[in-house]
Amino acid sequence: MSKTKRMPAFTFFALSLLAACLAAGQVFAKVDLVTLPARDKVQLTIYNSADLTLARDTRSLTLRKGRNRLQFSWANTLIDPTSLEMLPLSESRGILVRSLEYPPRVTGLGIWNLDSQVQGKVPFEITYFTSGISWRAYYLATLASDESTMRLEGYVRVNNNSGEDYENAETRLIVGKINLLDRIAELARRQEPYGRPGAVSPGVLPQPAYAAKYRMEEAAVGAKAAMEAPKEIRKEGLSEYFLYTIEGTEDVPDGWGKRLVSFAADTVPVRNLYRYEEEKYGQSSVRFLLFANDKEHRLGKEPIPDGLVKVFRRVDKEGRLSYVGAQDIKYVPKGEEVNLNLGSSDQVLVKPVLMEFTTDNYEWRDTHVITGWDEHRTVRVEVANYRDIPAKVEIRRNFPGNAWTLSNKGDYGAYEKVDADTVQYVIELPAHARKAFTYKLDLRTGSRAHR
Amino acid sequence: MKRWPIVPCAAVFAAALLASPAVEARTKLAALPEREANLVRLDNPSATLVEEERVLTLQEGENLVDFSWRGVRVDPDSIRIALLSHPDKANLLSVSYPPNEAALTWRIHSNGAWEERVRISYLLADIDRLVTYKALATRDEKALDLDAFLVLRNFSGEDFEAATVSLDQGDPFAGKIAHEETRQLHFLSFKGVPIRKVFTWDSGKIPWEPKRLDRNVGIPVCYVIRNDKASSMGMSGLWEGKTRVFQDDGHGTTIFLGEDRVGKTPVGEEMKIYIGDSRDISVTQLKKRDLRINPRPSASRVVLYDTDEAITARLENFKDQAVTVDLVEHIPGEWDMEKTDLAYEKTDANTIVFHVMLPAKGKVELEFAYHRRNIRN
Repeated sequence: MSKTKRMPAFTFFALSLLAACLAAGQVFAKVDLVTLPARDKVQLTIYNSADLTLARDTRSLTLRKGRNRLQFSWANTLIDPTSLEMLPLSESRGILVRSLEYPPRVTGLGIWNLDSQVQGKVPFEITYFTSGISWRAYYLATLASDESTMRLEGYVRVNNNSGEDYENAETRLIVGKINLLDRIAELARRQEPYGRPGAVSPGVLPQPAYAAKYRMEEAAVGAKAAMEAPKEIRKEGLSEYFLYTIEGTEDVPDGWGKRLVSFAADTVPVRNLYRYEEEKYGQSSVRFLLFANDKEHRLGKEPIPDGLVKVFRRVDKEGRLSYVGAQDIKYVPKGEEVNLNLGSSDQVLVKPVLMEFTTDNYEWRDTHVITGWDEHRTVRVEVANYRDIPAKVEIRRNFPGNAWTLSNKGDYGAYEKVDADTVQYVIELPAHARKAFTYKLDLRTGSRAHR
Repeated sequence: MKRWPIVPCAAVFAAALLASPAVEARTKLAALPEREANLVRLDNPSATLVEEERVLTLQEGENLVDFSWRGVRVDPDSIRIALLSHPDKANLLSVSYPPNEAALTWRIHSNGAWEERVRISYLLADIDRLVTYKALATRDEKALDLDAFLVLRNFSGEDFEAATVSLDQGDPFAGKIAHEETRQLHFLSFKGVPIRKVFTWDSGKIPWEPKRLDRNVGIPVCYVIRNDKASSMGMSGLWEGKTRVFQDDGHGTTIFLGEDRVGKTPVGEEMKIYIGDSRDISVTQLKKRDLRINPRPSASRVVLYDTDEAITARLENFKDQAVTVDLVEHIPGEWDMEKTDLAYEKTDANTIVFHVMLPAKGKVELEFAYHRRNIRN
């Protein structure tokens, strides 16, 4: 993949005090340029719940005593101009950042006004939000052939489509759901940084062409990732979120992606569970893989971010694989159980059959208006396991209304009333086994329900 | 955009000229009186008041002063003029508006020939201010520093070269702001404001059985601060505005926690900032019993009935810290609580709140049962 080296779209320079040149909008010619400091350091904190990255640049600026005007330009990037902040990293007592001007009729440009009692080089930190950099987690799970354990590998994938190259960036990832009022990409495209007074929808510039220009080619990333030694990812909780810090720094050029190993765990014990609930899954059973994000499952060091899990199964001694399926998992806190839905299965059958239906105890008024009655249903449930390994089956039945009683007969396993209108049966089936049970439901309807 | 600055022109007239209502009567003078002071008052969010002072040269007798504002959205009915130098010896006789022009003419009578300082005030559209806040919470989330920024947006058509900008809080400040310019100024700073962190699970807003959903269900987390002296605040009310919250990450840098639009916060009141959702606390609520009881006048002829309802809430904390979750429950109509594991706070006739203490890595199961009364069939 070749890519022409571009000048950074993001430039920063100090203007001398010639306020005169600022009077006319388009005269921001870079004539009074004093210094063009390169970025010394950059830190990216990338969010996965929103298209948002907190970028933190460190640059050394040369200040003069008195009033300084510092111009910052971000044309052709996806920076939110309302998020720009500049703070001195040293000499903060002698430097006062007074205001940030967004000059008229120019987009992608801001001028900081600051008063300085110091002369010379001062490190500054500039922070801002940008969109176009994203990360996501994904997982590869490999089941042992007896399906009692699996190897779970977690990856993170970072993509930069921000229009800006980030070299030697300290890269951090945030797991968590932040509250965001506006989309950063929209703020970045506004004609005026804060919109206009009274405007219902602020003016938005046309979408830059580069947003769709780059598409990561998986082969290129794979090759690059394979050449690098895996980096450590440090993980820590902050407020309601989790912060992943990738060891060292990364080059994240515009248009590129990165894949990093987040964790790998061997022989994670898993349980297979088949669920049957007509109202939720229809008339076939659904296979779940159960494990927990805890020490007993060789996990639990950190939450597992939401992402796609691709599940494979080892089929022979040579380690050949068979693809079982893929499913998005939700965020899993430390200590929480994971229910990985692998889709409907024809390997475990659950078949409820209505065997008998009667009604009685009718109530009426005015000689012909029926106000209530009782219903009695007898349902036989057959359960079969066609697999070579044992299966555990969880069957849920939901009953209409709220006035009912139930009696069970046969091999109904563990029975539980879950809530006012739901019951659950859990049945353990050995390999190639069948079981059956019967329940009788007595339901009071209409005026019969008032008891 | 073609702009036309607001220009008042003073003209001296012979009586003959006054007889004709023609526009040429308002001869523009070459020497325009300069604005000497300009105050932009931004205390009302719905309109901006501009007060400018100029010095007019008045002749004895009648004077016509022309004021025009082409390209600028001035509310013509709001324009006022005050004579400051000789308020007892000069007075405003009339105001007339010429046809099809953004202009007016003041007819001023003066007892002498002198320089008169006047204050012209008017409401100007398309210029306003926003307030934004930046909060930086400590690593332990016990306190935050709050900075307020004023954002001036001038799209009024008028350039303000040296204006005094006045707000209803903070000191007025001098500045210039050009047409179509936006300017962000730091104007208030509060240090070490104590935070109360609140987790709220509302049974009317959040799914009851999150485990049965394919998506994540988070519990909203808010920071609550109080605008009072005890919180190193309380000097004045705070305006509404977008608030972005950051947190010290313990490595010399920060992370962004989330943003919210906070409402106006008078002195003594609380500001609530919704930062994001916690996914490390799970609440599962089930209705364990839902029966109709006490049918009246009879079971076969029901006009009124009561209910017997029981609810179980299971709260689980996966965090390493203890938290308090506000569990908000809604019970419609009239009701009596029959049994509850935990005391609750009644916030209105149909809303109760349980403040549930959840230990680190702990679980709490809460049951309550109530009868709703006199439900019409």
